[in-house]
Parts: sequence; structure tokens; C-alpha cells
Amino acid sequence: MAKGKPRKVNRSQRNTRQQPSLGRRRQWLWRGGLAALVVLAGYVGYLDFRITHEFEGNRWAIPARVYARPLELYDGLRISPDNLETELQALDYARRSGAGTPGSYSRRGDTFLIHSRAFQFWDGSEPSRLIRLALDSDRVTDLREPQRDVAPPLVRLDPARIGSIYPAQREDRILVQLKDVPPTLVAGLIAVEDHRFFDHFGISPIAIGRALLADIRAGRVVQGGSTLTQQLVKNFFLSQDRTLWRKANEAMMAVLLELHYDKEEILQAYLNEVYLAQDGGRAIHGFGLASRYYFGKPAENLDLSEQALLIGMVKGPSYYNPRSHPARAKDRRDLVLQEMREQGVINEDQERRASASSLGVVPRGRTAVTNYPAFIDLVKRHLRRDYRYEDLTTEGLRIFTTLEPDVQQTVEKALTSHLDRWGKGMEGAAVMVNVEDGEVSAVVGGRDPRYDGFNRALDARRPIGSLIKPAIYLTALSQPSEYGLGTILEDKPLTVENRAGKQWSPQNYDREYHGKVALWQALAHSYNVPTVRLGLDLGLPAVVDTLVELGGEPPQHVYPSMLLGAVPQSPMQVAQMYETLASGGYRIPLRAVRAVTKSNGDPLKRYPLAVDRAFDDTGVYLITKGMQRVVEQGTAQLLSHWIPGSVHAAGKTGTTDDTRDSWFAGFTGDKLGVVWVGRDHNGRTGLTGATGAMQVWGQTFSHLQLQPLNPVAPESIKQVWVEENTGELAAAGCEGAVELPYVAGYAPDKKAPCIKGRGVLDRAASWVRRLFE
Amino acid sequence: MRQRKPAAALIAALMLTLAACSMAPQKKAGTEAAPASLAVRELVGKAESASAAGRHDQASAYLERAIHIAPRNAVLWQNLAVVRYRQRRFEQAESLAMKSNALSAEPALKRRNWALIAAARQARGDDEGAQAAQDHVKQLQQETGD
Repeated sequence: MAKGKPRKVNRSQRNTRQQPSLGRRRQWLWRGGLAALVVLAGYVGYLDFRITHEFEGNRWAIPARVYARPLELYDGLRISPDNLETELQALDYARRSGAGTPGSYSRRGDTFLIHSRAFQFWDGSEPSRLIRLALDSDRVTDLREPQRDVAPPLVRLDPARIGSIYPAQREDRILVQLKDVPPTLVAGLIAVEDHRFFDHFGISPIAIGRALLADIRAGRVVQGGSTLTQQLVKNFFLSQDRTLWRKANEAMMAVLLELHYDKEEILQAYLNEVYLAQDGGRAIHGFGLASRYYFGKPAENLDLSEQALLIGMVKGPSYYNPRSHPARAKDRRDLVLQEMREQGVINEDQERRASASSLGVVPRGRTAVTNYPAFIDLVKRHLRRDYRYEDLTTEGLRIFTTLEPDVQQTVEKALTSHLDRWGKGMEGAAVMVNVEDGEVSAVVGGRDPRYDGFNRALDARRPIGSLIKPAIYLTALSQPSEYGLGTILEDKPLTVENRAGKQWSPQNYDREYHGKVALWQALAHSYNVPTVRLGLDLGLPAVVDTLVELGGEPPQHVYPSMLLGAVPQSPMQVAQMYETLASGGYRIPLRAVRAVTKSNGDPLKRYPLAVDRAFDDTGVYLITKGMQRVVEQGTAQLLSHWIPGSVHAAGKTGTTDDTRDSWFAGFTGDKLGVVWVGRDHNGRTGLTGATGAMQVWGQTFSHLQLQPLNPVAPESIKQVWVEENTGELAAAGCEGAVELPYVAGYAPDKKAPCIKGRGVLDRAASWVRRLFE
Repeated sequence: MRQRKPAAALIAALMLTLAACSMAPQKKAGTEAAPASLAVRELVGKAESASAAGRHDQASAYLERAIHIAPRNAVLWQNLAVVRYRQRRFEQAESLAMKSNALSAEPALKRRNWALIAAARQARGDDEGAQAAQDHVKQLQQETGD
């Protein structure tokens, strides 16, 4: 208003030189006053408009909330008592005898009483229930609802909140309802910040007068004298600068706000708006999020000491930050408790006990943006296909993911403990998948699982070494007329042209040649030379086709060295490839999200289970059998230190040149895991697949409940005895014969001497004779 | 119109399938042991009524939860295939029926899967493929003697 275009300014400058008459001046004053009044009325109208519009409806941009998979309890579920307790703690269930309120549990030995919270899922709602169950040898038995005396077949608990999706520099909050917050928190807040709250009309003239006096004395704005309403207005609508103009605005808007809304609404908005902490680029607003951030629990569970600490922090969130200034924060808390007692909110006894207790602040990290940044990263990328970033960060969507907290924690622990042992600079990543439905249960992106940065599980694309071998052998075994598990491969020196004109002589890891080896042996012991020969016989394009069909990324240039894994893939891509093997030849897109709902629970989108048949079941069955031999008697046989042989796990080790990358990928009947260990700048690790990544895999799987891997043999598969070093057809009694699965009609034609023209008895006799020779 | 008749007949048969499964899923579970059966049966029952009411998304959600509990139960995969067929997602119906077959050695279940595959292929206009699937059905019928 004051500023005009330059030309006008010139004219007014000219005008000031003239001397207007007295009457004229009065007229101008009169007109000016009227105009000012109109402007003021207009301005108040404008403020009123802002208040009613901005304060209505969606008051805050709420980041999407991300949930872990819900735990389903039923008779027969395999879970250890400690794992169950871990799950309940991840859900913020409080251990309380009798489990009287939703969100609590009690435990006596292996018997649990759990009071579940009601929850609105994408496919229906679960009521709050009081259930009792016992665990017998890590299995749930006797699931009951004691109050109703029924045995529910299935109880789905509410899911653990594992994080939010919020913009880089933004506010974050968890909304609370006034009725859910402890009454002492609200009363304490009023006692300390604005004890006339229920009597004033938005501003407190006494307080303002006092503050104004102080300001005039100091010659600048030094005191607030703000009511809760003013503070809310300031935070919600206005800038943070301390000018008189801002103060005037604040006062006007506070009065207007009180005209439109009752005290309870204003109080509730205040509880959610107030700024309480800074977590990197994220501003922590409201008591709901602050209580999680500082105490790792919902606001409704805060005790008196914790309430007082948060109330005290309103005055200066960083100054009174209990993590960086515990002594200062404690003094402030005690002052708040004293004030609460003086105002009659609590009694002396309560004050004494609360003042005596420790601050109770949890270490930072546990409640940071997310405990699982690598997994959340995967979720975000998944969702970005279907949602605008803006919607994810403002609409309060609920994202239901597939993360299994116990699996995640187990694999994190295994990876970090090994990396610590292996020394500085070693990095790693891991992906865990449920075999049959392709749900990703855990992702670790590096040595520090809480670090929200470079996500190696998704972005570190490294040569996969021998992890490519199953793709080559699968290509072969998919041609049963040409190859079977017993087919003999040549393991003798070989030189081929690799990239333009460069000679390449692949070596075995032990630097020896083994002559003639059976196909399954070459896979089990991860012999390089026969694998390269096999791959060249099959043709590189055929191998690339298999790689892509499995779900891997094709190499940019196709050279023979690709056959030894000069094909960079991320751990996630490897997981996708091995998932196709683990699921019996069905490509199942790995999923991290099951469903998305609106903030009110209305379903928006589901990501249903999808399968796509990629390979004939016989070839995959045969390669799976071969990969089981890797674990039974090949490069992964030391897995027996970690998991029992009865699990019949299938897997493959991978080591790249000079031990720069250590890989292991393997699966049981129900779980698939991929682990990579290496250095970010591609240095040597001194670890093979078996001494490195496989150890992490082994430790992880040893702590999980495993289903054995017993794939159903396709109808056309028959067991055949084959002489190991010739690949010829043999029989049960023959020396050096192994029983291998073959596609019916494609067993070796050539008969071994041991069965040629001889009867069973002869064979047995010769076998016995040899035994004693 | 040519496709309608067999498809309609099949849907009737499949309705039966979904119902039958809820009775005894644990018996046909392949390698999966029976302990989860009560929970699984509950979910299959809910899936069945949801699907019958045309709420296929809901049915699918129940079945996926059941599969999460008993992932190698071939009957659950067959039921999900049926739901996909009803959702007119024929390629998925076929893949899921194949997957169900891969988890089971039971001829009667396989026969139903091949019948579903035949119908799904026909619905996509793949008459030749449908015929091949029908051949499997006939062969299995002879084996099971009905």
C-alpha cells in the first residue's frame, strides 16, 4: 500500500512542496481515517477468512504412515516366547498384569495374555480382543478369548508402525485426540503456559500490558505474554519474527479464532501443532510424535515425569533438549512439576515421586524417522509408480507393508556382528523374502542399519560371481535330451577370446583341473572351467535369456567372462532371480507393499499376489536338487554349523576376483535370503562366498523358524542310478553310482559295464568283492 | 458365444471347488503339515462367501492371508486361481492353477486345475491350448477312474 510505482512517488514528492490549506487538510484526514477503517475491516475480514479456511478440514499435511505386516496368531503358529514378546514390544504394547486395557499384555512363563487394539485394515476391521495363549515348544497352542470363553481360529494384531514418508525438510506429527492424552498433561500445559486459558478470549490484556511495559523499557520486543491461543496462531499462521506488526496480527487472529472455535478444539490443535524437537531435517510437532521421539511410546502412556518434561520443552525445544542437555532439562521438568503442584494439578506426593525419577528418554535412533530406512526406501520406490510424491507426504495415507520385524532384526544383527568382526570399511547388504508369495520380509542396506543413505541392497550393483551358475545349469537342464545332472563335463585347460582380441583362460578356485566331472559336481563345487565350457556350448545368448527370464538384468556386453559372473546385479535383483528358482520356476514380483488405504481406512489400492510361469517345472526341479547338493556336499557344506541338514536348504556361494565380493543366496521351503559383503570402493575383502556372506546367511537362518525344502517332483521325474565318473546308466549296487533325478525318457542311453549283461546278483557280488579287495 | 458354454459349465464346477476346499484343505496340503488348518479353514470360508457375493478383491485378500500361513497348500493356490478367473484375470488364473499343480501330486486336484486352465485359455481365445489342457483333464479322469 505504501509503495507505489516510481512515477506516483514523484508526484507525491511534488505535492509535499505545496502548502495545503487547513480545511483541506482536515478533509483529507477525515477521508483518510474512513479509508483506514475500511481497510482495517477488510483486513480483519481477510484474517477471518484465513482462519476459517486454513483451520478447517485438513489442518496439517500428514506424511503417509508405514506399517509392518500384522502378526496373525493361531493355534500351530511357530514363534518363540521371546520373539512374541519382541513383536509385542514393536507394537508398543505395555507389559501390565491383567492386560486390562487395549495395547497391553502380561506374560507368565510361556503363557501370554494379550489385549489387542482395534484396527481398521484394508480388508476389514479387527476388534479389540482379550486373548490368552500358551507356547509349547515354540508353537502357539490353546488360543482363547477367556472373557467370552471361545477359541478364535485366528487373531490378527494391529500392525507395528515402522515409519513415515515425509518430505526432506518438513514437519512431522502424529495426531492425538484431546480425550486420549493424559488429563494431567493438558492441565499441566495450561498451568505452565497459560493458566487463565479457560477465562480469556484469546488474548490476556493483563499479560500483554505487562509484556508491553517490558518491551518499552527495553526498546524492543522481549516478552511474549502469549496465551496458548496466540501461540497456536503464531505457529499455525504466522512467521516467527518478533515485530509489533506480527504481534498485532497475532492478537487479532487469536480473538477471531476464539470466536469460531471452542476451547477444546483450540487445545487439541495446540497439542498437535506445538514444535517440540528437531530430528535432522524433520521438525517434530505435537505431543503425539514427541512422546514417540523421546520416550518411544504413544502419548497416552506417558507418565507424570515424562509429561512434565515435554511441557517444559515448549519453552525452548533445543535449549531444553533432554538428549543434549539432560541436567538443564531435568531442572526445567522439576520446575514444571512444582508449578503443577502449586496450581493443584498434582499433589505433593506425586511431585516428589516424579521429580525423583530419571528422565526416561530413549536413545535417539530407536524412534527416529524409521528404524528400517532401507526397507522404507524400497517401499517408497514401489509406491512412486502409483502415487505422486506429494500425496505420499501430505494425505496421511496408510501403507501396509510386508516387513517382518523379527526377521529384520535377526538379519540386521547377523550382518552387523559379522561386519564388526571383519573390520573397518567392510560393508554388506541383505534381502529376505518369503518364497511362496514373494513378500520382502527384511532389507538391510549397509553396516549401520539405521543409516538412511546409500542403500546397497537396492543400489550397489556388483558382479555376482558364481551366483550366475544356476542360470547356466538351468539353461542346460531345461534341455533334457542334451543334459542331465549326471552329464560329464570336461574340466581341462581352456583359452577363449573374451572381449575384442583379449585371450582369457578361466581358472578354478583351487587352480587345478579335475578332468571329467559330473554336471552336479561342477555346480556343487563351483568349478569355473567346466562351467565356462558348458556355457559356451549352450551359447551366451541362451544363458542371457535365462538370466533375464529369472528376473535379472542383462549384461551390457556379452563376453564369455559373463559366465563367471561379470554381470553386475544388486542384492535385490539377485533376490528376484533366486525367488524364481525358489518358487519352482514362477516369477513372482517381489513385493514390499500389500495395500494402501486413506487416512480413514478406506482402501485405495491393493497389490495382489501375482505369479508368472517362467520355466518348465522339471528344469527348475533339477537345478534345485543340484543346489541342495551345494549345501550337502559342495561349497556351502559348512552351513551345517548353522542349520540342520534336515532343512535341505538349496544355495549358491559366489566370490569375485581377488575376493572383492562375497555372495550367498539360498532358500529353504519358506524363506529366501541373499547376502552380499564387500567394500564400497571395490577393495579386497579376503572373504569367499562361504567364509563371508554365507556366515551371515547361516546365522540369520539359524535364528528363524524354517520349513524344510522338499519340492514335489514333477510327474515326469524319475530317479536314476548313474555312474558318477562316466555319466553312464548304472544300478543301485554299482560302485561309484549316484541316484539322481532325471526327466523320464532322457536317462543316459549308454549302460555302464557294471550292469551290462549281468544280473543283479552278479552286480551285488562284484560290489562285495571290490569292497574287500 | 462359442466360448460361453464351457465357461459357464466350468464356473458351476468351480463354485463347488471353492466350497469343497474349505472342508478339508489340510488333507490335500502336499508337504504342508496340518496344524494351521483351523486358521486356514476360517480364511477360506470367508473367502468363499466373499467370492460368492462377488467381492473378489476381498476373497483374494483372505486367500493371500491363508497362503501366508500355509504357503505350500495347493488347494489355497487353486482357490486363488478360481478367484482370479472370476475377476476375469485369465492369465493369472492359469499361472496360479499351474502353481497349484506344482505343489501337489493329487490327481483330483490336478484335474480341477487343468479344467480351470482349459477354461482360462479358452476365455483368452487360445483354443489349441485349451484343448491341450482338456487332454490333461481326460487323462487324469482315466487315472482317477471318474
